[in-house]
Amino acid sequence: MKDVLIIGSGISGMACAVRCAARGVHVTLVSPFPSERSQSVMAAGGINAVLPGGEAGESVSSHVEDTLKGGCLLGGERAVTGLCEHGEEILRYLESIGTVFSVDGQGRPRRRAFGGQSHKRTYYCGASTGKQIVSALVMEARRFEAAGLIERRLWCCFHSALIRDGVCHGAMLFDEARGGLQVVCADAVVIATGGQNALFGKTTGSTQCDGYAAGKLFMQGAELKNLEFIQYHPTTMETQQKRMLISEAARGEGGRLFTRKDGRNVYFMEDKYGPGGNLMTRDVVSREIDALEGPAWLDLSFLDRAVIDERLPEVRDLCAKYAGIDVTREPIPVQPSVHFFMGGLAVHMNHETNIRNLFAIGECASMYHGANRIGGNSLLSAIYSGNIAAEEAAGRKGDSRHPDFSSDLERERNLLQRNMDTQSPFPVMYMRDMLAETMQKRLGIVRSEENLSQGLADIDYDLSVAERIRYDSSVMPYFNYSLTGILTLARATVTCALARRESRGAHYRSDYPEMDEAAGFATIISYDEGKYSVRLDKERAYES
Amino acid sequence: MKVRILRQQSPASAPYWEFFVYDGPVDNSVAGVLDYINYHDDIINADGKRTTRIGWECSCLQGICGACAMVINGRPALACETFLKDLKGAEIEIRPLRKFLVIHDLVVDRSSIQENLKQANMYIGEYQPAEDGDHGHQYAAAKCLKCGLCLEVCPNYVNGRTFFGAAFANDCYLVATRNRSKGGSVRALYAEHFGKTCSKSLSCMDVCPMKISTLASMAHLNKKSGNGKDA
Repeated sequence: MKDVLIIGSGISGMACAVRCAARGVHVTLVSPFPSERSQSVMAAGGINAVLPGGEAGESVSSHVEDTLKGGCLLGGERAVTGLCEHGEEILRYLESIGTVFSVDGQGRPRRRAFGGQSHKRTYYCGASTGKQIVSALVMEARRFEAAGLIERRLWCCFHSALIRDGVCHGAMLFDEARGGLQVVCADAVVIATGGQNALFGKTTGSTQCDGYAAGKLFMQGAELKNLEFIQYHPTTMETQQKRMLISEAARGEGGRLFTRKDGRNVYFMEDKYGPGGNLMTRDVVSREIDALEGPAWLDLSFLDRAVIDERLPEVRDLCAKYAGIDVTREPIPVQPSVHFFMGGLAVHMNHETNIRNLFAIGECASMYHGANRIGGNSLLSAIYSGNIAAEEAAGRKGDSRHPDFSSDLERERNLLQRNMDTQSPFPVMYMRDMLAETMQKRLGIVRSEENLSQGLADIDYDLSVAERIRYDSSVMPYFNYSLTGILTLARATVTCALARRESRGAHYRSDYPEMDEAAGFATIISYDEGKYSVRLDKERAYES
Repeated sequence: MKVRILRQQSPASAPYWEFFVYDGPVDNSVAGVLDYINYHDDIINADGKRTTRIGWECSCLQGICGACAMVINGRPALACETFLKDLKGAEIEIRPLRKFLVIHDLVVDRSSIQENLKQANMYIGEYQPAEDGDHGHQYAAAKCLKCGLCLEVCPNYVNGRTFFGAAFANDCYLVATRNRSKGGSVRALYAEHFGKTCSKSLSCMDVCPMKISTLASMAHLNKKSGNGKDA
């Protein structure tokens, strides 16, 4: 292929862009803002890899086993094996492009313990691993930008894919700088737009990640997978505007969770699960906190001050700045919050969706994490998936003959103009907030048929309103035209949660509290003219 | 509390001041204030008239992405980590960064930062780290947000056409310490676009949200360049 269009310039999008460019493929890298603003910079704890000199018994196969087990056996085994086998290669690559890992006295990257893992294998850069990787990748991408192989287009938002007869030929973009909707044809389109935070409002993630691309592509025929599996991170701190993530690294370095009962501290995770209780998988810890009668705290105050200063300075500073808490003296009040989406666009092993030449990578794609992601695997899969998609695109013969999409463009331009041309704007941001309220209330840590059904009814109402309203001309057109796609994604998510009548990983149903062996397959949902169809992928069609 | 915002509808239109009354939580950040004002069916200014929503950029809301850089009470800062309790007076004045093209209200085009780095070929290429590298400073320098606060406050930075500012100097440092073979060319570019013009007010370090010691980058680059400058 000669031209690849990548939507999203976080770690996964950049990794894919750099790999494509290194293979001589021209990349158009699209995002509203520079990579420094992406959610990737917020990834704190580290990246998993199995390197020589690890703990006794450590191996790639134990990394595979931990990943599959953490995901309650819903992550594809072949895909997960590929991911884990490439851990060392990816870590070495990141070092070679200048990522500043935390190192020991011999200059070797340090590793720490992370939740749900049998061995210490999470390599890190203080508590700002994502930021350090972004900085290195920005610089590496710059090399190919200077050579003309990567062309960044800022101020651009995804609008829709250009699809004819099951083949993707590019995308329609809304370009703020160049004034409106534009058609960009390409041999392949790679979606790297991150998770679906906007569905839930206050989360640990970026306000920029809203799930619209997945929702719109779903409406255009792309299948979605495992949407019901939404990771609640157990340790977040509430502030006026968001939930601040207290990295799992804090527990990896020894931090202890406790609650208060009858005037004494109760270390509930250790009491129930033993000495490693604080580092159980995130779904387990979140449910335990959710079930407490009172609030939970995370205690770091007993740690050596030097450990906090050297390994957790970002956690220390975050608590001081946003909550006035000195973690060396007092515990941090924590509660679970939406953090990561295991579900997303359904992709095959090569990260292609069910639409030819349309790929998805990073958090917006569903592949490795099954029902629950273990810490340290998101950065690994972001890079690995970007590499896989790049290799596939670079190795595939491109077809530069694209159909004429000018009439589609004209139609969408007219529609947008008509909707924006109004004196009575409906506050679209208000509607996003209403959706967030619904999702927080109906798709929490513990779910039930009754609650989910009410959520479905609420979203159906929102959708019926969204289809009738004119746009709010005082916000970016993107926020207006994205509303229906976001609501449709939300509806698909609740539909999947209703369909899975069992409890598995991050999906816990109070009315079906046990795991059902017969339901041990991925959920696939498709859309056709307003009809949502859910099935279990019993043939494992997406594991090929 | 009154909030005074310098607004501008588009790059080509004229800026104007508009007042708002803020009656939200007192423990909010300035980012929270902007969200609070925007979160209503109708946006009403201090004169009781309907107005448009305030344009501003945000992403992480925790001081690590640099999106919400603006000038608050005359000081360049990130809105999400500037708290009302720390501001003096009964009025807050908010304006966009002045050294960049205004796109809309408080949203500015900072692409010149990356463009200058790209034009200067400021990338590592072959990884050949310096043996005596200061790991701590490399870690700090790589945390640069490219937010533009250092350029806003800099007395030498005008429009980025010749003098590229502290963000450039810190990336020069990173490249020079990660690829020894590029040290000479990087130092020449550093001298041309930073070293020979910087008057060392070091105000860039005062406003840097990541507290990057640009002085440490300068010391490294000046020392090896032999240009006689006192680091």
